[in-house]
Amino acid sequence: MAVERVASLGRPKLGHRIFRALSGEYFWFYLLLLPSVVILLGVVIIPMLYALKMSLGNTSVVVIGGHGSVQSTFVGLANYVALMQNPAFWQALRETLYFWVVSIGLELTVGIGMALVLNQKFWGQKVVRVLVFIPWAVPTVVNAMLWGMILNGNDYGVLNDLLLRLHWIRTPVVWLTPTPVFQGVPWLSHSLGALGSNLAMNAIIVGDEWKTLPIVAILVLAGLQMVPAEYYEAARVEGASWVSQFFRITLPLVGPILTVVLILRTMQLLRAFTLVYTLEGYGLPLLSISAYQQAFSFGAFGPGSATAFIIGMIALVIAYFYIKRLYREVL
Amino acid sequence: MRLPVSKVWVGLSSAGLLSALLATGFTSGVHRQPVVKPKPVTLSVLYMNQAGYTTSVLTQMGKTFHHLHPNVTVKFTFLPYPQMHSAILTSSAAPTAQYDVVLSDLIWTAEFADKGYTIPLNAYIHRYIKNPGGIPQSIWNGFLIHGKIMAMPFLANFQNFYYNKKLLKEAGFRSGPRTMAQWLHQMEVLKAKHILRYPYEDSWKQAEGLVCDYVRTAGEFGNGNLFTPQGKPIMNRGPALKALQWMHMLYAKGLINPNSLTADEPTAADAFAAGQVAFNTNWTFVTGIMNTPSESKIVGQGVVAPFPVVPGTNTRTHSATISGYQGLAIPANVPKALKPWAWKWIQFATSATVQARHLRSQWPVWTSVASSAAEAKLNPSYKVYEQNLNAAYNRPKVANYLTVSAIIQQYVHEAIAGTLPVKQAANEMVHQIEALHP
Repeated sequence: MAVERVASLGRPKLGHRIFRALSGEYFWFYLLLLPSVVILLGVVIIPMLYALKMSLGNTSVVVIGGHGSVQSTFVGLANYVALMQNPAFWQALRETLYFWVVSIGLELTVGIGMALVLNQKFWGQKVVRVLVFIPWAVPTVVNAMLWGMILNGNDYGVLNDLLLRLHWIRTPVVWLTPTPVFQGVPWLSHSLGALGSNLAMNAIIVGDEWKTLPIVAILVLAGLQMVPAEYYEAARVEGASWVSQFFRITLPLVGPILTVVLILRTMQLLRAFTLVYTLEGYGLPLLSISAYQQAFSFGAFGPGSATAFIIGMIALVIAYFYIKRLYREVL
Repeated sequence: MRLPVSKVWVGLSSAGLLSALLATGFTSGVHRQPVVKPKPVTLSVLYMNQAGYTTSVLTQMGKTFHHLHPNVTVKFTFLPYPQMHSAILTSSAAPTAQYDVVLSDLIWTAEFADKGYTIPLNAYIHRYIKNPGGIPQSIWNGFLIHGKIMAMPFLANFQNFYYNKKLLKEAGFRSGPRTMAQWLHQMEVLKAKHILRYPYEDSWKQAEGLVCDYVRTAGEFGNGNLFTPQGKPIMNRGPALKALQWMHMLYAKGLINPNSLTADEPTAADAFAAGQVAFNTNWTFVTGIMNTPSESKIVGQGVVAPFPVVPGTNTRTHSATISGYQGLAIPANVPKALKPWAWKWIQFATSATVQARHLRSQWPVWTSVASSAAEAKLNPSYKVYEQNLNAAYNRPKVANYLTVSAIIQQYVHEAIAGTLPVKQAANEMVHQIEALHP
């Protein structure tokens, strides 16, 4: 007790400490940090707290006395509980997780494969690297329109036309309908359906990956170029195979960059909206689409915000494991 | 210090006289009329750029209005239909409305009335609309909620039945179908004779258009009301169930282009205008498209017709369609000073005179304009339009319509595609809607 009192007497008051910190050697540090903090507070922290408040309330738009406002009555976790009891929420969650797992899987395999190819020395390598990057520069809405034309369900849809000419299909396929895949094999179709897979979902994953694989490949390529060539030379002298070199040298050394890429892509995939909404409207209810529909179509801002927060929580949990792994690798 | 009473009276009288002289312009010996220059006003109007009047027609209307009221400038915001509702919702959340006049679709009327987002227009209509009977009661009813008129009718949109007479002739038919059985037979013959791969295309994308087609098809089977008068959903029995079975059957037999499951109304209209299909059920804008050489390959071949129905049903109208009326409304959070101007614009834009000037664009709400000689000259099918307008069913008029609509869209889509058996989809639809209205 006495020790605590002495300790509190010995510590300068909070105001003094803030003044000392601001006027001391860190003055410029804090001053230069201030704009970022203000922007972060204004566009991220405060809106996020406001959304949290909405998710815990019966929130709706009201117009009273000629003035509009958003009013919220605190209901605790009722919105979250209602979501958990709604089968549509679980369907949306399944589809969102399927979208994330398959996309990440493609990025890990095809993305790294592309990076390995681009890391080789070949004629026109620089031109190919630039060309590969082009899809990333296409705005998402334009990409959606593009894939809308490619996946058009008529015989003049680009993909259907190609497949019909190759005699791989007999009638045009309506790629953007959420119908089951592998309908000829009922158990497989049913199992994939239960996991959230359908024709439209897979078509949209292809469209999304066409745009995002290049950035994954380029980032992994940057990591590959930091791996010293001597490591490979030494491995070759020791007689290590190509596969062995990849798993024992390449992958561990590219790991940190890969983890950052996975964190970023996980965040993006869990809140994917533009491509899906442009092509399907509310027809493919990923969690992000469902959150938007509840808030801005049904006017139910409480459940909408709760859904958005659940997306954030899932992303946070996944990111936690990635970051934990990243620190283990770095340390 | 106190002034004597007489001095106070003199002072007050002088001040009063001076004020009176100033007020009458008696300041320099010249008698002037007082000139009250009206304050400049900018009216912000929200409209869609997908259907209804085109952006150029609306802009022209705005210019004419400005000519009549030089102090008022009409500024338009045109949005795609799916973004309209959320734009009105977010505008309602602001202390002062972003839009002074908004397009109010029929299906939002009950919600806007229930939540108080728009104001009733009864007082304005009673005062300024001399002959409200000039607009059919069925159109007024679309915007009438518990005796309050929530929007002024602007556009009498509804669906027509369109067929390609040249393609039907190739298949051996001299006229379009009048019953559902005839329609099915014509589609089967067109397919069997390999005249068309798919005789019919419609807008069955999981969106509002699908609900419209579902209600209309239920109407063709005898009753387009999806709820009982007591408010109970009845999609799992009677005409609504038959409609669902019909829609699935057309898909399963390959009579409708399967791409209809991803198509919206303009896509379906384009397929018809390109001569790829023989049948299309769509809003009135298709009449213009099919006869415009730059947009159509079937000029002179398209026919506007009443909808085929099951014999013994719809005996009064011999058709069954779906309403899609548009109204103009004033948001409740529009500043008080702007509301009279907002109404002036609504009165102008919805007037018979203005609608008569833009007949080519849309079907007018005023009977006098719809049955005028000018309309008859422009639109030889105007009698069919009248027949279909009288046969219009409305979508459910419930405050949480968009939630109900989302459920209908999901299960109708699944039933058509065969993801769920028809009866199961219908039962699930009813079950989920009942859960919203315990």
